[in-house]
Amino acid sequence: MKNEMMLFWVVVGLYGLSASSYIFGLISKHEKLFSVGLYSAIAGFIPHVLVIAVRWMATGVSPFITISESITFGIFCAVLIFLSFEFSNKKVRPLGVLVMPVAFVLMGWAGALYKDAASQLVPALQSGWIWAHIIGAATGFGAVLTAAGLGLLYLLKEKYSGGVYERLPDLQTIDNLSYRFVAGGFILYGLMIVTGAFWADQVKGSYWNWDPVEVWSLISWLTYGIYLHLRITFGWRGKRLAVYALVALIAMIISYWGIPFTVETFHSGFRIEH
Amino acid sequence: MKIRPVLKAEYPKSPVSAFLRKAYQFLASVKLALALLIIILICCVIGVTIIRGEKAWALIFSTLWFNAILVLLVVNVAFCFFSRIWGRKVTLISLGMILFHLSFVAMLVGIIYNSQFYFRGLIRLTEGETLPSGEPGSYDYADYGRFFDFSKLKGETTLIKMHKGYKTGGADKRVAYEVAVGEGYSKKQGIIYITHKLDHNGFSYFRDKEGYSLLILLYNKQGKEIYGAYIPLQSLKQKGDRYLYTTGTKEGPGSFPFPQDPLNPLFSLQAAYHPAFLKEGAGDAVFQVWQLDRAVGDRIKPMAEGRAPIGKKVKTGDYYLSVKEVRYWVGMNVRYEPGKLIVLVSLWVGLGGMILTFIGRMRRSGV
Repeated sequence: MKNEMMLFWVVVGLYGLSASSYIFGLISKHEKLFSVGLYSAIAGFIPHVLVIAVRWMATGVSPFITISESITFGIFCAVLIFLSFEFSNKKVRPLGVLVMPVAFVLMGWAGALYKDAASQLVPALQSGWIWAHIIGAATGFGAVLTAAGLGLLYLLKEKYSGGVYERLPDLQTIDNLSYRFVAGGFILYGLMIVTGAFWADQVKGSYWNWDPVEVWSLISWLTYGIYLHLRITFGWRGKRLAVYALVALIAMIISYWGIPFTVETFHSGFRIEH
Repeated sequence: MKIRPVLKAEYPKSPVSAFLRKAYQFLASVKLALALLIIILICCVIGVTIIRGEKAWALIFSTLWFNAILVLLVVNVAFCFFSRIWGRKVTLISLGMILFHLSFVAMLVGIIYNSQFYFRGLIRLTEGETLPSGEPGSYDYADYGRFFDFSKLKGETTLIKMHKGYKTGGADKRVAYEVAVGEGYSKKQGIIYITHKLDHNGFSYFRDKEGYSLLILLYNKQGKEIYGAYIPLQSLKQKGDRYLYTTGTKEGPGSFPFPQDPLNPLFSLQAAYHPAFLKEGAGDAVFQVWQLDRAVGDRIKPMAEGRAPIGKKVKTGDYYLSVKEVRYWVGMNVRYEPGKLIVLVSLWVGLGGMILTFIGRMRRSGV
């Protein structure tokens, strides 16, 4: 536990370094700091993988059961998507200016909530649906976080010019990329809701119970559904959708980790009253 | 997909056709779709922030107006989307969107069909007990659609045994119920645990909750047994993750008239059980007896009380009481949902539609 904890804080530290490099790189328009940010994100991602693997191997219990594990896994997926995108599209290097601070803050929060792993999975969670459900939620979060990051880049490029902003893709490309990540997140969040419905049906015999977590996931899904409607049906583009993607991210974070764990719901521990 | 104007057919200028045209234009409006999505979103946010839990269910999610909005959204989606896509060339994108929007309509059909024929009940049985499945009185709670026919619930439901510490495939399921349902040759026996139900004749049996059930015996002054019944106990959570096993309701301990039918009650009894840690079914029983006219919540002192190990008698006033044995009771959710399959299949169809549209758009722009 002690070594695992140390490794965890190394991740937080490196993500913190990455976040501050991106932020100061943007403020000072010093592009080398973006490289520092990217490489410290990679350096943090390696122990991040180890933290999850060590915990999983030690107990054999899926590594996303407690709130701390859930955040850790969600950020793992978000950073993985971010790094993959950074390497596939080198023009969006400053994207980490939103992604990495969010990763840093949420990982710090996860560290504060860190507990010993459960020795066994409670019966209600012993379901194959849990994997698709959690992976849908975590990758969906990664996708919309990236979309929000691109939204921020859009707003910055629109407002400022020269230097860093000159080398970013043109506004339309950024707008299109952001839209694609939102659409991807919308599908992945849909996967989470569908598999969650099947899981609830398996355990309770009803696929939808209007419990707070279900409603919050519906809120996030509808939020991005409205985004897609505004874009496809009403022709919204650019600044308005960039702002929308940033605001929608807040709803997503609340729905994923905020509210569900503060109220007694189907998700907050399947108590066996006996 | 760009907005295409709603097809404007030539209508005769009668008041009825004018009304129909207005109704069609209203239902096929994309602005209505967006407004409904926003209203639902606001209701959901209110239902998990300002009003929460059961209050949100009572004031929002279960109400006619909220469900009417959901229905209106689906009707609007159908009118809005299909009036615009009708006659257009089918591409990967449009096929995906057709499937996505069609899944909403299919879901509504499934939900409406289900609402007319469903059955949802909670049946509570003590180990060894059998109840007639088709008798509404066998259920603690039963809710059903207008066209549900109780004769579908054939035969009986028996709890053979509750297995504590049940394991299967190396996984600890903690609790499992061994049950038998149905009649004659079609009788089916099986095990139910939290991720495993029993299906029989279209009905599904799910694990819900369980507790202790005491066989309480009543003796007269001479020590002669005059009455006995299994009494289910509530498991009430106390401080420090401990449980109090007692008669009462889920809100708290309580007494009940005893003995029950067919005898006339003699007093109001509260029984509690303190299980022994080392031996299953052992421990102590505690009895408290009040006058029959004791009102709910009255904090008056009992007229008699006593504690005895399981199997031993204890004097309580003019009578003796004992717990002869401890069994388990279980509560099972019994569900018949003929429309559920349509809804669940529609969910996958909708998801598939989203994926097709996404792939189509990726291929089209190549970004």
